[in-house]
Amino acid sequence: MTGREYPWKRRPGWWLRNRRYLGFQLREAGGVVCALYGLVLLNMLIQLREGESAYTAFLDLLRTPPVLYLNLVLFALVVWHALTWFMLIGKAQPIQFTRQPLPWKVVFGVNVLLWLGVSGAVVYLIFGGI
Amino acid sequence: MERTSFDIVVVGGGAAGLRAAIAAAESDPDLTIALVSKVYPMRSHTVSAEGGTAAVLRDYDSFELHALDTIKGSDFLADQDAVEFFVARCPEEIIRLEHWGCPWSRDEDGRVSQRAFGGMSVKRTVYAADKVGFHILHTLFQTSMKYDRIHRFDEYFVTSLIVDAGACTGVVALNLRGGSMVAIQGKATILATGGCGRVYEFTTNGFIKTGDGMALAYRAGVPLKDMEMVQFHPTCLPGTGILITEAARGEGGYLINKDGERYMQRYLPGKMELGPRDILSRAMVQEMKEGRAFEGPYGLYLGLDLRHLGAKKINERIPMVRELAEKYMGLDPVHEPIPVRPGQHYIMGGVSTNLKGETTLPGLYAVGETACVSINGANRLGSNSLSECLVFGAACGHAAVEFAKRRSTYPRGAAAREALKREEARVFDGLLRRERGKETVAGIRIEMQQLMERDVGIFRDESALSDACGMLGKLRDRFASVGLADKDRVFNTELTAVLELDFMLDITMTIAHSARNRHESRGAHSRTDFPQRDDANYLKHTLAFQTDGPPRIDYVPVTITKWQPVERKY
Amino acid sequence: MVESEVVFRVKRYRPESGGRPTFQEYTIPYRSDMVVLDGLNYIKDHVDPTLTFRWSCRMGICGSCGADVNGQPRLTCGTYIRDVHKGAVTVEPLSNFPILKDLVVDFDDFLNKLASVTPYIVRKDWGDLTKEYVQYPEDVEAYRQQSLCINCMLCYAACPVFGSSPEFVGPAASALALRYNRDTRDQGADARLARLNTKTGIWECTFVGECSVVCPKDVDPAAAIQTLKFLATMRHMRRLLMPGASSR
Repeated sequence: MTGREYPWKRRPGWWLRNRRYLGFQLREAGGVVCALYGLVLLNMLIQLREGESAYTAFLDLLRTPPVLYLNLVLFALVVWHALTWFMLIGKAQPIQFTRQPLPWKVVFGVNVLLWLGVSGAVVYLIFGGI
Repeated sequence: MERTSFDIVVVGGGAAGLRAAIAAAESDPDLTIALVSKVYPMRSHTVSAEGGTAAVLRDYDSFELHALDTIKGSDFLADQDAVEFFVARCPEEIIRLEHWGCPWSRDEDGRVSQRAFGGMSVKRTVYAADKVGFHILHTLFQTSMKYDRIHRFDEYFVTSLIVDAGACTGVVALNLRGGSMVAIQGKATILATGGCGRVYEFTTNGFIKTGDGMALAYRAGVPLKDMEMVQFHPTCLPGTGILITEAARGEGGYLINKDGERYMQRYLPGKMELGPRDILSRAMVQEMKEGRAFEGPYGLYLGLDLRHLGAKKINERIPMVRELAEKYMGLDPVHEPIPVRPGQHYIMGGVSTNLKGETTLPGLYAVGETACVSINGANRLGSNSLSECLVFGAACGHAAVEFAKRRSTYPRGAAAREALKREEARVFDGLLRRERGKETVAGIRIEMQQLMERDVGIFRDESALSDACGMLGKLRDRFASVGLADKDRVFNTELTAVLELDFMLDITMTIAHSARNRHESRGAHSRTDFPQRDDANYLKHTLAFQTDGPPRIDYVPVTITKWQPVERKY
Repeated sequence: MVESEVVFRVKRYRPESGGRPTFQEYTIPYRSDMVVLDGLNYIKDHVDPTLTFRWSCRMGICGSCGADVNGQPRLTCGTYIRDVHKGAVTVEPLSNFPILKDLVVDFDDFLNKLASVTPYIVRKDWGDLTKEYVQYPEDVEAYRQQSLCINCMLCYAACPVFGSSPEFVGPAASALALRYNRDTRDQGADARLARLNTKTGIWECTFVGECSVVCPKDVDPAAAIQTLKFLATMRHMRRLLMPGASSR
């Protein structure tokens, strides 16, 4: 006489169970949204091809408050994505010059500094410099 | 289950059982091996061993010295031919395990490290931080996955041996997940089910250590040897009984009483904290009796002081000690001494075997803590047990293979079918159907554990032991009215608890009666009414045989080769 | 120690009666140093012997006693009631596994996955048994963390990918594969990476990271899987660009 195993079924809303699952969904959703923003930038190129008036109209659209707020949200998601990535690198691909690999926090810190440096240089190029 | 007939059946998936199974698998690609265990092998109690495993690996050491340490540690009750066999094979087992990937801790030059341990004259204990049992078990279990010919029966509880025409031809087991019973036949059967610490109330042992294999052999007419020799480990956490490894002392830890004194200087000034476990446990009880122990919510205790070792050494050599103290005692041993007290840990006694693991029943073998060869005699040195599992696991595996090869045909199916029917009737119709009355499994189990703790503990005397023998007989009678609330067949852990209690009630009788009949103190067996060692009358092993009443006690002499018994001084 | 009581809500399931799992409540005496396992044992010994759960070592090394406690996969022997006491202590079987009975789940599938990653040393020649292979302390350190896995299944219970795709090889099996790949004595990394570099291997992982959060032994299987992604990719590139070149 044998009994029946009770099968497992994942419940919808599993990601509401704790903060980290929620953070994961945000990161993943954020990635999708950022990818979609690429379409916006693609559209910008298309408008540029359409001619000056179309391009200017598109730039005006980009300057409206709703779109600016959207950009802020997207920027936050990109930063979240980048930071979680930097936190992972030290553990996923150990970098070793001595007997022990570099601690992941060091790799994280170096990457953040490099990122800030490169971003600073880009900002300087666009708004200052040349 | 497709196959139920094998060349070798191994019962128990710990270090000894896995080592035997691998030895059998490696010796011949055509052999089939069954590994039957009531838990998944990586849950076996080997996993909790902490300190290390001994072997002669370096020039400052010798087989002579390892043998002498072991024999002296055993208070000269060890069989010296078996000890000589043992020490000579430890090094190759350690190296073999290393080749299989075991992460031994290493010296700066890349060679395997060794540390000091209780009762060992030199540093010969190989270690893997302080998780040696965990690493050995997982290395063996994962290595066993190389061999398809090892068929695992995970969560199968063996209830009886199959005996046909005077030989053991396999086992009957309860499939916990399927809820049915099955006969697993083998040309040879190896019992490797570990010890029986759960007969005591306060033990380092896990829940599964209920002496199953010992009872199975005992019921088939095989004697249990030296059952009175029970080891109490000096450093267990009060309350839980969780083990704090001897390695903490091996790395330099001190034992202190409430006056902050390293009290071992009054008992064993030569060895101090690295004396053998029986002497240390008795010293602790003495300190408690004389009012120099600390008092806590779980009774009296002494202190294990590691503060002078420093955080770096502790984290490198004994990290789990720190984790356990923080988790279960809420203190950091880097800053505070750890409360410790003696607790049951190991049993030197077990199924009587020779050095090939053979028992008096042809086709039946035993190895590891289940067996008593004996290399540990009246007291085991720390770090000899895992080496014993490896050396004798291999030797027994090979011996069983040779025996199996001499049998050209597989065992008769008829005997297995009869045994299966009998066990189904006993377990399903007999035990499972009984209604719950006054007696419960837990009730009897707890009484048994408390009485063993009180009357058959570190210090024993005639009146306590005779009380114990009487009470155990009464518990056995009361057990006949235990009924079960859980009537299911699938994964019925109340049923397995009843089966285990049934085994334990047999085992405890052998412990109490063997202790009562040994009128001397030797090693871990301390009689306040017979405080001296008596070589003239008791340089022999106790054998306990099952009868309809109390066990029949007999004796067999100790094998002496090179080392004449002398006073055991450290 | 304060004498008082605590309520346990335990998920029950009887395989021979069928039906669905349901909660049962028990009120038991409580001491401040009790762990959840102590509570379960009290219930089984003194209140309801039919309650079924796995346990053995009670010190967090055997891996038997995993369960969802208040929704989080934990070892019941290592979870103090005082830390999870929110009115009642809710104990359920580990998520993501079929239930055998009460808190006992079926994880045989993990053992098959473990076997599939070749979890043992692979070598062409073994040398003799007179000397160990030389391995320096920093070499041991390289795989020590992944070697600490006690096979408790908490990581599988935490992994939402495994919860919806049961063929995923999973955190523990991957961590153990990496343990062997990083062991200087092993020569089987290539075969393991081939096994893991598949749809049911590491590529199912989307780096949720919850496995590493719940791991009681700090194995960090999430990092192990991402490392394996690097290693598998590099091996794949090497084979594409330099076919015929031997790999470790």
